[in-house]
Amino acid sequence: MEETSDRLNPTTDTSGITPEFDPKTMRSTKPGLKRLFITTSVLFSFLLGVPFLWKSVEIYRSPLPFHDIDSLSDQIESTPLRFPCNFHAVFVGFESTDPDNLRSQIQDGINQLTHQSTQCGSCNFSLSVTVQNPADQCSETLAHNPSTCSYRCGVITRNEFGVGLDDTVDESLNDVFSGCSENSGKTYSVVVVNKENANGEDEVLKAVVGKRRHAWVVGSGLEERYGDIVAGVSEIFVKVFMNGGRDEESIHGEFMPVGSDGKIVLSFSLLNSNPRDWVYDWDFQRIDDALLAPVTKALAPIANISVESQVLYHTPKSSFSAWDEKLQGYIFRTSDLPFFVNSNEWHLDTSAGASGRSKILQFVVYIPSGKECPLLLQLPNGEISKTNGFISPMWGGVIVWNPENCDKDSESPSRNTISPQELEQIVEIFLGQFRQLFGFKSEAIYTSGLGTYKILPSERGFTEWELDVLSRKHTCFNLHSCSTTLGSLSRLVRSLPRMIIKDEIGEQVKYSLKAAKLAQSNASLGGYSSSASSSREARSLAENVFFHPSIMSVSYFSYEHCFAVYSPFFLPVVAHIVLAVNREWKRYRQEKAKYLTWLTRKKTA
Amino acid sequence: MASLVRSWIPLLILQSFLVAVAFGSKEAEQFSEALLLKPLPDRKVLAHFHFENRAPPSNSHGRHHHLFPKAISQLVQKFRVKEMELSFTQGRWNHEHWGGFDPLSSMNAKPVGVELWAVFDVPQSQVDTSWKNLTHALSGLFCASINFLESSTSYAAPTWGFGTNSDKLRYGSLPREAVCTENLTPWLKLLPCRDKDGISALMNRPSVYRGFYHSQRLHLSTVESGQEGLGSGIVLEQTLTVVLQPETTSVETNMQPSWSLSSLFGRKVVGSCVLAKSSNVYLQLEGRLGHESKNVDTEIEAHKLWKNADFDLSLKPDRVLRESSGLLFIFDIDKSSDSEPFDLGLNWKLPSKWSCQQAPLQASRFLMGSGNERGAIAILLKATESQEKLPGRELTDGRCTIKANIFQIFPWYIKVYYHTLQIFVDQQQKTDSEVLKKINVSPSTDKVSSGMLEMMLELPCEVKSAAISIEYDKGFLHIDEYPPDANQGFDIPSALISFPSHHASLDFQEELSKSPLLSSFKEKSLVRSYTEVLLVPLTTPDFSMPYNVITITCTIFALYFGSLLNVLRRRIGEEERFLKSQGKKTGGVKQLLLRLTAKIRGRPIEAPSSESPAAESSFLSTKLIFKIILIAGAAAAWQYFSTDK
Repeated sequence: MEETSDRLNPTTDTSGITPEFDPKTMRSTKPGLKRLFITTSVLFSFLLGVPFLWKSVEIYRSPLPFHDIDSLSDQIESTPLRFPCNFHAVFVGFESTDPDNLRSQIQDGINQLTHQSTQCGSCNFSLSVTVQNPADQCSETLAHNPSTCSYRCGVITRNEFGVGLDDTVDESLNDVFSGCSENSGKTYSVVVVNKENANGEDEVLKAVVGKRRHAWVVGSGLEERYGDIVAGVSEIFVKVFMNGGRDEESIHGEFMPVGSDGKIVLSFSLLNSNPRDWVYDWDFQRIDDALLAPVTKALAPIANISVESQVLYHTPKSSFSAWDEKLQGYIFRTSDLPFFVNSNEWHLDTSAGASGRSKILQFVVYIPSGKECPLLLQLPNGEISKTNGFISPMWGGVIVWNPENCDKDSESPSRNTISPQELEQIVEIFLGQFRQLFGFKSEAIYTSGLGTYKILPSERGFTEWELDVLSRKHTCFNLHSCSTTLGSLSRLVRSLPRMIIKDEIGEQVKYSLKAAKLAQSNASLGGYSSSASSSREARSLAENVFFHPSIMSVSYFSYEHCFAVYSPFFLPVVAHIVLAVNREWKRYRQEKAKYLTWLTRKKTA
Repeated sequence: MASLVRSWIPLLILQSFLVAVAFGSKEAEQFSEALLLKPLPDRKVLAHFHFENRAPPSNSHGRHHHLFPKAISQLVQKFRVKEMELSFTQGRWNHEHWGGFDPLSSMNAKPVGVELWAVFDVPQSQVDTSWKNLTHALSGLFCASINFLESSTSYAAPTWGFGTNSDKLRYGSLPREAVCTENLTPWLKLLPCRDKDGISALMNRPSVYRGFYHSQRLHLSTVESGQEGLGSGIVLEQTLTVVLQPETTSVETNMQPSWSLSSLFGRKVVGSCVLAKSSNVYLQLEGRLGHESKNVDTEIEAHKLWKNADFDLSLKPDRVLRESSGLLFIFDIDKSSDSEPFDLGLNWKLPSKWSCQQAPLQASRFLMGSGNERGAIAILLKATESQEKLPGRELTDGRCTIKANIFQIFPWYIKVYYHTLQIFVDQQQKTDSEVLKKINVSPSTDKVSSGMLEMMLELPCEVKSAAISIEYDKGFLHIDEYPPDANQGFDIPSALISFPSHHASLDFQEELSKSPLLSSFKEKSLVRSYTEVLLVPLTTPDFSMPYNVITITCTIFALYFGSLLNVLRRRIGEEERFLKSQGKKTGGVKQLLLRLTAKIRGRPIEAPSSESPAAESSFLSTKLIFKIILIAGAAAAWQYFSTDK
């Protein structure tokens, strides 16, 4: 744009003024402001319109409570969730023991054991101690918040206790402590019975953990081994009741094989690796009704479990095995296990009945073909595995089941059904694997430095105190997963400023946070099932939000797009206006200068 | 991460075990496989694989299975499917040469692409939801885009034109779906032996897909148990029909090519699937009975049937069955083994000719008209030679008639004018009342539902040809609704022509209910044929059009705005005076030129330079600087906006 016109424009009126008036450099009238005003007002109205335009191209983002999300994850990180537990220790047949003293000693012991592990889902315990002397008189030290159940003095008699089967003892203990109210956490009790040393010989110390929430230690001459007993009792409280007898090095407690909708599908598959050699079938329906139904019922508060089974054929394993003359079998080693599962040929179909977020645990019984029978798993220490199976965390377990007779007798394949007894054994191994997937031990014995405890197994697969541990862990896991999911969501949302966030997302985030808060408060009050259910809800809402279709398909409405749409109009128009304003302003200044020179000239004249 | 497991629970309840025994003797799940081979008159060979899997009535469907595929059973349970058929087809069935009046063609000649229909066992209001969910589940199961049938514009609810009368029936087809090995593999996964063993081991992918026609079908139906409290049984029928061209070395053109299983498929059968209850191979020869219709009693005569002057078979059939129009050789493949594979071969010695039984009318469909605005669809029914001989004629009012049902789905962008329906019989236009017995029309709604036309024609028996034409307008789609290859055109799904009074069945003299393939042939099946898929070109927009429109409108607005602004700040008096002063100095021609350039440039006429060159240059430099700054500013702004986020 050239601006020559201003300069060369002949100025206004030149008629009859002073002789020194030069029309090229001066003017006699005041320059007008009309055009300057018009152009600048257009420019300003454009500038004023910019915010409105900005507002109109803005995309809708529902406000997310970023602060609450951050504070939730901070809270879960910094202060692990703890549930109230009532520990009750009853010492029967102890003469000269002061309950206060005992209590403080046990408390010290527990503190020492829990000190190093402040993991989520542990207990915020209160301890009460009862000592019953041989004359059946009691002295008690109760916790600060005494639970309503208290031990009625003299119910446990010193010498009759612990006779008979462990199961009946467990039941009798349950009757003793039956009046407990459960509204402020669960009550766990340990009974220590000091028997009269009747026949002179030292009776072996016997420690049993029952199916309910009780454990007992029976022995004689316990008053002399006072220190050991105290340490043992506190160990039972912490290691067994609080942590579920888990090994520290076993599967990390953070993992729970539960789907975010709170469902588990147990998919059992019987794999006949080569049906030309032999075909095995099973009657799984019966096993499901008889053996698995109690387990699924017991786990109902933690997860909704459904069971499926199928038989598949032509499913070779994908690792190799070699004949071992000494062991008389084909050997596969633990190092082969990552390659054992043949994902090409084992079409363990993910269940169409399960919705997308259920956790599917595959349990596979592998029947080797005639070329690799018997197939044995060799442990790293050279021994042969007794169960011939292995688990893969969060996936499931595999059992290699060898037919009785590995010789292929005839040309035609033999059709067999796995006998109920053998199937029962297989299911036992399954249950052990299932417990391991949840982080429990598959053995019935807990061994520590201070001795071994016998753990009474439940026919439901999980004892009550184990279910308590699971429920605590599950709440913890859910809350943790909820907070990480929401955290990632908030990071994602903050990193994409032009992502559309619908109202329902904001709402679900709010509900999820609310449920998480509720779970936390319920947990601190000791409501196991209520906290588990609200934590499950929190997690499932959080996952719902994260996998919401509108987030999955981020509409890419970028700045480039905006620019491409609006620039064909605004670029030329703005150029026009800016140039016009510029020109008018220049001209105005020039004309004003002319006018001023004329004025000075007039003044001097 | 594998860790060892030790058995944990030593004591388990046995008594509850015994309770469960009281379930009684249960029927077991059954699987059977069969292969039917049939030389076709046009020197091709048809191979029809048939697998049937039966699950007896039980309450544990979807949960515990032994042979039956768990996925299918769960599908049936979850969506309450009563009957369903899914087919994947490539190629077109040649009704003229491959037959149109036998159970094989009426059940297995399918339209190109994917066809799905299902009958549900849910309340009427939930049928559509079940259908939508089912399409998604199937699409995941079979690696196909069946989920496109979810949209209500792509399926229809036929009332009587489809053959199955149910108000809970939904039908949809995707003519453009490409069918290949990724659809076959999941289909094979439903078989207990997959393609590892048995007859299915023949399915060598290159040879199967090299064929002229390929149709894989999955049909499932539930069988009510009739008992209270017991679920229903499921019958899953899977068939694969391929038409192959045997490689021939013979120079004689009228000689039928000789073939064997290994030359057709490149593989041999090395034994039956051990899980199959029966596994048979059938060889059907049509038109062989004309001259040897005497009873086969003696061994020699039986021998003559499979080794004679016309042809010989490489293996001795286990049984031979006769049927009204041909022979059926049955082979049992249980005896074959690795060392002695089953490799059936057919060797022709003399040229032979026969023809297939055809449907009473042969249907074809085509488009009429040109241009992108309107057109017409015509369906032409031509009488076949065999029409005279066929049963199923009816006498109405003393006239001999043939009934034909036509079922057609129109996508909504084909806006059909139903009043333009014209029917010609033997080139003479007939009124509706003369030939049209029943008609059911459900018009389409734009972007909501597709249109459907069902009609029943009653044609005289001696008809030579019948034609139906209907006109349509082509609709406009929204820019988002076009497929990626919009210029290819849009498919109108095949029309289905069925003959309600004609039923095809193969009736073998001997009772053979144990073979599922033969018993399915024995059942009377409706004679039906599908027409071609039509390709309609629609007006496709230039897909960059929205941007072009935006740019042009913006430019016009900008021009208007700029000129308006110029007019507002124009000083007319000044310019005139200036022009006057200029006019004195310059000559006429030159001034005209100046005016012209001024007009073009839209700016007042420049005076001839009267200033010093120095001033000029300094002015030019500020102008230059201003320009540079403007461009730099624009570039900076662009940079800022384009790279910021």
